[in-house]
Amino acid sequence: MGRGKKFIYGLVIPVIIVAAWYLYTTYSDVPGSLMPKIQSVFMAFKEMVSQGQLQNDLAVSFIRVLKGFLVSGIIGIFLGAIMGMSKKASALLLPTITAIRQIPVIAWIPLIILWAGIGEASKVVIIVIAATFPVLINTLSGFTSTPAGYIEVARLYNLDRWQTFLKVYLPHALPQMLTGLKLGLSVSWMALVASELIAASSGIGYRMNDARSLMRSDKVIVCMVVIGLAGIIMDKVISLFFETITPWEKIAKSEGK
Amino acid sequence: MASDSKKGEKKKGGYIINVEHLNKQFLVDKKPVQVLSDINLQIKKGEFITIVGHSGCGKSTLLKIMCGLVDYEDGIVERNGHAVAGPGPKCGMVFQDHRLLPWLKIKDNVGFGLKNLSKEERERNVKKHLELVGLNGFENSYPSQLSGGMSQRAAIARGLANNPTILLLDEPFGALDALTRIQMQKEILRIQQEEKTTMVMVTHDIDEAIYLGNRIVVMSARPGKIMEIINVSPVDGKRRDSAGFAAYKKRIYNYFFENSEEEEETRNIL
Repeated sequence: MGRGKKFIYGLVIPVIIVAAWYLYTTYSDVPGSLMPKIQSVFMAFKEMVSQGQLQNDLAVSFIRVLKGFLVSGIIGIFLGAIMGMSKKASALLLPTITAIRQIPVIAWIPLIILWAGIGEASKVVIIVIAATFPVLINTLSGFTSTPAGYIEVARLYNLDRWQTFLKVYLPHALPQMLTGLKLGLSVSWMALVASELIAASSGIGYRMNDARSLMRSDKVIVCMVVIGLAGIIMDKVISLFFETITPWEKIAKSEGK
Repeated sequence: MASDSKKGEKKKGGYIINVEHLNKQFLVDKKPVQVLSDINLQIKKGEFITIVGHSGCGKSTLLKIMCGLVDYEDGIVERNGHAVAGPGPKCGMVFQDHRLLPWLKIKDNVGFGLKNLSKEERERNVKKHLELVGLNGFENSYPSQLSGGMSQRAAIARGLANNPTILLLDEPFGALDALTRIQMQKEILRIQQEEKTTMVMVTHDIDEAIYLGNRIVVMSARPGKIMEIINVSPVDGKRRDSAGFAAYKKRIYNYFFENSEEEEETRNIL
């Protein structure tokens, strides 16, 4: 499928949703405080931008996500790689990690607020708790699925552990690490908004909660759309970065292998 | 290098590979299974040895022991006069699945085992070996862009890049189609004559074993034992339609299909 055609296919469902929304809000008598018209969402968007509110909230939230996501990426990849290459490390860590992973991130929020307050630190910690696991688990699986034959080739040429990591395990795990990072990113936004909804004085999640208390559903929707767009842009940036560092993947796909 | 000489005390002059009274057991479900039994094999410089046997007769294990990828406890295994204690640069290996790393370009796959070389030396070495296997122009391709035969050529180039004294080939052409296989057999002979590398190839293709080998090691299955080492005449062995070739073939068949009915059947299939 061509690039243009693919893009158009991706637009089909959003267009249907917008059309249904338009028809519903125009031809029914649902109150604007519950389901605003598209026009009033645009107006709200303009209003929030002209006041500088939206930019501020987005910037605050974006910085939090970035910090939390970076920390989770580093921890997740580091632990995943170590556990993937060492059976001992895996035996030591995996049971604990699997147990902790079962606790929903929302359940951590009360304790984190008690410990770290409602400032920046607590937001970042909550994102880290949420986003580390998908990165870790996918990195681990990328490392452990490295074919034994390739590792044997590394042994044949007397590669030490570090070189085996760099030349065999890491490149093999990269595609799955990408999947983990993408999942981690979307989880980061989720954890962030959840923590901002519960306890915050700034950020996009705070703004949504604030707008809700003022019955401004139009503003709530603006925030939702903005989160979606910010997420998609960051996702694309990560994908592009990985495409440039794994050129063989694209070629193998085009060869049908 | 260092790993080549650790266990070395007893020297056997002149042999590239010296195997004496080698036994090897594996643990399967905690029970020991004898895979190799009293293997004795001496390989001289420049020889092409082929090993034939049923799948599971331990021939691949024998190859891996020779290059140090698999440990042995009982017997003597020497490479270049030193007891084998691990892989070393003087021993190359080619596997049935080419095992080129998909993320490395062909030139980097071929140069994978090259260490302590300047950039120019490295490039020259890789270029030389790509030319040797007839893959010039594919330096910057990725393995996924190569056919099965070409991938195996690249794997052979990788195996030879370190200028090893011996190249071990584990059913390298087993996954190729019949025409490509015959082509590759001619190529490997040419390469061996150019490079003068000692080669040991494991195969289950009897024709291949006769065509390539100066000597054929015939192995039985479970436990893997050497039944006979056949010297192949340099004339008959290279002519697939000669009477001598057919005689070698019959001699080897008789080891694997003692039952005459079975032998008839195989003949009919062929």
